[in-house]
Amino acid sequence: MNLTGWKERLFQRYLIWSCRREKIRRYLRDSLPSLPLPDPVDRRSVRVGALQVKLELCKSPIAFADLVHRRVKEAYEAGARLVVFPEYLNLLLFGMLPGIEELEKDYSTGIAAIAKNEQQEQTDVISLPDLFRFMTPAVQPLIFTTFSALAASYHLYIMAGSYTIADQGAIVNRAYLYDPKGELIGYQDKIHLLPVEEEWKIKRGKIFNVFESALGRLAMPVCMDATYFETFRILEERGAEIVMLPIANLEAYNYWLALRGIWPRVQESLLFGVKSALVGSIAGLTFTGRAGIFAPLELTSNRDGVLAEVDCFDNEALAIADLNLDSLHELRCSHPWRDHNPALYRRYFPQVYKR
Amino acid sequence: MLVAALSLAGVDLSSINGYISGLINLLTAQKPVVAVLPAHSALALGLGVGRLNSSNTFQEASAYYFAEGTEWTSEFLNLHGLLAKELQIYLVTGNVIEKDEDLSYQTCYCLNPAGQVCCAQRQTHLTRFEQDLHLSRGDKLDLFRVGNFYTGLVIGNDARHPEVGRIMALQGADLLLHSGAIEGDQTCWQQAAGMWAQVQQNQLYAVEAQLSATIANTVFGGNPSIIAPCETTFGNTGYLARCNPGEPLLCAELDKETLSEIRNDNPLLKLLNFDAYTEICGSEPQ
Repeated sequence: MNLTGWKERLFQRYLIWSCRREKIRRYLRDSLPSLPLPDPVDRRSVRVGALQVKLELCKSPIAFADLVHRRVKEAYEAGARLVVFPEYLNLLLFGMLPGIEELEKDYSTGIAAIAKNEQQEQTDVISLPDLFRFMTPAVQPLIFTTFSALAASYHLYIMAGSYTIADQGAIVNRAYLYDPKGELIGYQDKIHLLPVEEEWKIKRGKIFNVFESALGRLAMPVCMDATYFETFRILEERGAEIVMLPIANLEAYNYWLALRGIWPRVQESLLFGVKSALVGSIAGLTFTGRAGIFAPLELTSNRDGVLAEVDCFDNEALAIADLNLDSLHELRCSHPWRDHNPALYRRYFPQVYKR
Repeated sequence: MLVAALSLAGVDLSSINGYISGLINLLTAQKPVVAVLPAHSALALGLGVGRLNSSNTFQEASAYYFAEGTEWTSEFLNLHGLLAKELQIYLVTGNVIEKDEDLSYQTCYCLNPAGQVCCAQRQTHLTRFEQDLHLSRGDKLDLFRVGNFYTGLVIGNDARHPEVGRIMALQGADLLLHSGAIEGDQTCWQQAAGMWAQVQQNQLYAVEAQLSATIANTVFGGNPSIIAPCETTFGNTGYLARCNPGEPLLCAELDKETLSEIRNDNPLLKLLNFDAYTEICGSEPQ
């Protein structure tokens, strides 16, 4: 089935209309609080919140706005100055598609074919990349308006999570960052893709971005990017202090499997890591994870590299911790083992990175 | 292929005969193809048998060894060459001092079953203490064959630098042999941040020898482990075997076929994005 027939085009127009900025802005204006400005940021105690979001289908843009508003409020009330949402947050918006429950059944039974982006003749299943593309014109204004308004109302930095959206013909997995004025500071495209994302023809990012903020230098690689030390080494060398990592792990939860991402990267590159997780099921896909906040071993009381981590891997939760950026800099300057060997890297990396 | 990691816990370090017979007893019982000694084995034995001056602190003992330990190093390597030949194994010596013209390195040797050096690996990343001793960094990472495994040596502090494992993995390494020593008795997270992390992001095996001994009033309490990609291990822990405190030797069987399967199922290194890495190809730190 393709999504270019007149009915589909008409429905897409309806989606765009229902997610239009004016409508969302008006709704949020009536529901968001007017709050006093917070105290200036103390670099010795930057409170951050990592959200664990349960995957639930939002039937309308207002339902989505309400959900993310509730989670932002929760983090604000816990004292966070930075709130981090997870990867693939656009999956929640699939709830706006009519007949999504039936579609889910098709996906659940034919997921192997979908993963390969094969159209199944007998069930006529729409591919996920087609859906991402179809929904982009509606999703983008909705998330831009919602997170901008929330950031401005609560005076927070918000990493809005990542979204698979169409950009100039290609699909990217893109994370967005907003400042307390509600301005979009920037975005980050996922640079290392899962095999299934390669098959979906998602376009890989090429640049690791670091964003200046009142909270320190922020970065936000996406999920699989933390499998590779190169991501964090480049961010470290670019001056990043707090690295946010939105994840949506498609595997049964296991402590050791989950440990392989941001935790070792934080130890290798001496940064703070804030991991947000999407959990729950949709279309036969089950996501697990535990949101958490990580630091070099030397900066954690148990010497285990964990400042905070939620208890569950399949439900809504929030991890909160205070980051001391001055301590991080002191550690970097006096670290007992951290070293750099440019001669070694020059000898090998140009060769081995071409193979 | 059966591999072994040693901690030297309980091994007699006060006489060369006691040390050699202790290792022979341990290794003869298990018959590994490869055995890895922990870091500072030469220093610990040299102090124990009186070939090196005794000191009150580890720093003093190390400084003396790096300055004056050439003769003892030669004796230590000869001794282990004979041991490798006697046992018909590949034996990794742990770090010893190597002088080359005006420069000093911490170097680890692998001795083959003929008792000869089949790989000499200089440490490529130095701790602050090692920098203060004016040691130099190696700038090569070579592989050698043990059976059908392409193998590399990882010394001490190099375990905490992922560049080392990545360069070796992209050159084709299947197995890393690590000689380590960590101060203190709570080392599990430091070890996880080292070789365990290198194994998981490079999909290879590692034999991690960790020193369990006291040198000049400094306690080293790491536990040897044999590490594999999580998916290939019981409970997905990434550990094929882990030593309990006080155990001198740990063995496990490595299977090249299992490694190939996990690399095919989840080809991590094929998903690297080389285009994005140009700035870590040898830039100076900011």
